[in-house]
Amino acid sequence: MIRDITFGQYYPGKSLLHRMDPRMKLVLTFALIVFMFVCKSFASLAVIVLLTVIAVALSGVPLKVIFKSIKPILIILIFTALLNIFYTHGTVQNGDALWISFLNGKIEIWDKGVYTAVFTMVRIVALVVISSLLTYTTTPTMLTDALERLLSPLKIFHIKVHTLAMMMTLALRFIPTLIEEIERIMNAQKARGADLETGGIVERAKALVPIFIPLMVSSFRRAYELALAMTCRCYTGGEGRTRMKQMKMKGRDLVCLFVCLAFAAGIIVLNYFAKHETFSIFGMLFFKQVI
Amino acid sequence: MSHAIELQNVTYCYSEGTPSQVTALKDINLTIEQGELVGIIGHTGSGKSTLISHFNGLLKPTSGKVLIDGTDIRESKETLRQSRFKVGLCFQYPEYQLFEETVAKDIAFGPKNMKLDEDEIKRRVAVAASYVGLSDEMLEKSPFDLSGGEKRRAAIAGVMAMEPSVLVFDEPAAGLDPAGRKELIKLITDYRNKTGCTVVIVSHSMEDIAKIADRVIVVNDGMIAMNGTVDEVFSRCDELQSMGLDVPEITRIFSRLHALGFDVPENVYSVDKGTEIIRALIEGRRSV
Ligand SMILES: Nc1ncnc2c1ncn2[C@@H]1O[C@H](COP(=O)(O)OP(=O)(O)OP(=O)(O)O)[C@@H](O)[C@H]1O
Ligand SMILES: [Mg+2]
Repeated sequence: MIRDITFGQYYPGKSLLHRMDPRMKLVLTFALIVFMFVCKSFASLAVIVLLTVIAVALSGVPLKVIFKSIKPILIILIFTALLNIFYTHGTVQNGDALWISFLNGKIEIWDKGVYTAVFTMVRIVALVVISSLLTYTTTPTMLTDALERLLSPLKIFHIKVHTLAMMMTLALRFIPTLIEEIERIMNAQKARGADLETGGIVERAKALVPIFIPLMVSSFRRAYELALAMTCRCYTGGEGRTRMKQMKMKGRDLVCLFVCLAFAAGIIVLNYFAKHETFSIFGMLFFKQVI
Repeated sequence: MSHAIELQNVTYCYSEGTPSQVTALKDINLTIEQGELVGIIGHTGSGKSTLISHFNGLLKPTSGKVLIDGTDIRESKETLRQSRFKVGLCFQYPEYQLFEETVAKDIAFGPKNMKLDEDEIKRRVAVAASYVGLSDEMLEKSPFDLSGGEKRRAAIAGVMAMEPSVLVFDEPAAGLDPAGRKELIKLITDYRNKTGCTVVIVSHSMEDIAKIADRVIVVNDGMIAMNGTVDEVFSRCDELQSMGLDVPEITRIFSRLHALGFDVPENVYSVDKGTEIIRALIEGRRSV
């Protein structure tokens, strides 16, 4: 049912990653994603993979849960890999690089194709894992809070960062409530014989009217009530507002920062010094001989 | 004659197979006879709403069967569809399901889904509106312009218009003032007297249940703890209290009076009856 859609995939825990300052997490995640696109060789990609593995291990989030975040992109992953394998021709080294050729050369697999396929796949998986680690270890509220803090310099351009963040927090907070509400209204209309499952697109769209109108009505009512409740508690926006939970950078955040900096340096260095050799050796060992 | 509704070994789990699995109903066996008025009571979260959602097939039992008029409602798609019309379910706060431009159109939503013809729909809307006391003028208003109590009645009319043979209410009087509450309970009993329809009411008000029900079912932690007449159930005061329930106030007063040695019966469930007895008692003393 509708309830099964999990939103905000926070996985409760007390690991180092859970306790880190969300601002630092956000910045580091962003930086890591950038570095994923910086790395050009397998050696530097390996550094990213290593860092991802360490992060997963530190987070205490079970592998099963991590795999769940990869599942939705599996098709995209396979599709990109296949496209790369069959349509990227060329070589990453000198010499004979055509690995397989059949149907009189209509289908060819070159080493560059396999190289790019593997490379992109690893990169996408690492990207998804790293960014879902952020949401696994940080509640949506903490994330918006961190975002608000990080974006607060934008105030000088008269952008209402606090208001935007508050809107986001409220929206996130009300998603489960809305899901419950939809379920309730759906049941009530089904009890009056509403048919939501059969019929063509037009009929189905029409069948949604009895659900969306009550939903809109109650959402507006809820919004007014919430606004009133906030006003009653003297909410006047971000001006002069203090926080109950202060975000503080601690020693561990600095340590994580330095570790990530070290890895970043490693990536840059390896980009220069280990071009494609690792991959070529890998290719030689496993493919050339088999074929 | 077959039972109006019969549940055979019904078990229901929410979010089955996930860590948050909750067994809301455990092996329920239950029959509701034609023409009965059954009251269901139970503390918050005991599974009353879950139970009644099985009566018209909104929830599919994890195991067990639901029969209406002797046919399994899951026999085919058609029997499931028919079960929605045979058993009218009116949820808690039904006013939040209103959506049409006018009250009349909203009441007609159910009959329309039954694919009835125009004239029949018109007739049913008029009849249902008269049951709940909505004037013609109100029928042409937008449902969102009605007062809370009127909205509630409009929504109930929407279920009545399907002319179900069993009408189920989940806390019909929740959030109404005492007068509105009384009016609503009267409306339901009147409807039942006029149509002879089977009625099931879930309520937190022991007074209301004691006043109108033929039979009371007590649900406790997903199981049926008691099932009997008003007398049978409310005489087990201690057990009810251990389940977080209670007997009507008036019953407590009378059992206390009885214990103090007054010549009054213990089993008094309505204030009207209680007043009568006390008056008789006082007059009896005067005449002595
Ligand atoms: N959609 C749902 N998902 C998961 N658990 C649920 C859901 N609805 C109800 N429950 C659980 O099932 C149990 C029975 O709930 P139910 O709503 O049937 O109780 P109730 O007797 O109607 O309570 P109330 O008197 O408060 O209306 C409760 O423990 C509740 O937490
Ligand atoms: Mg309930």
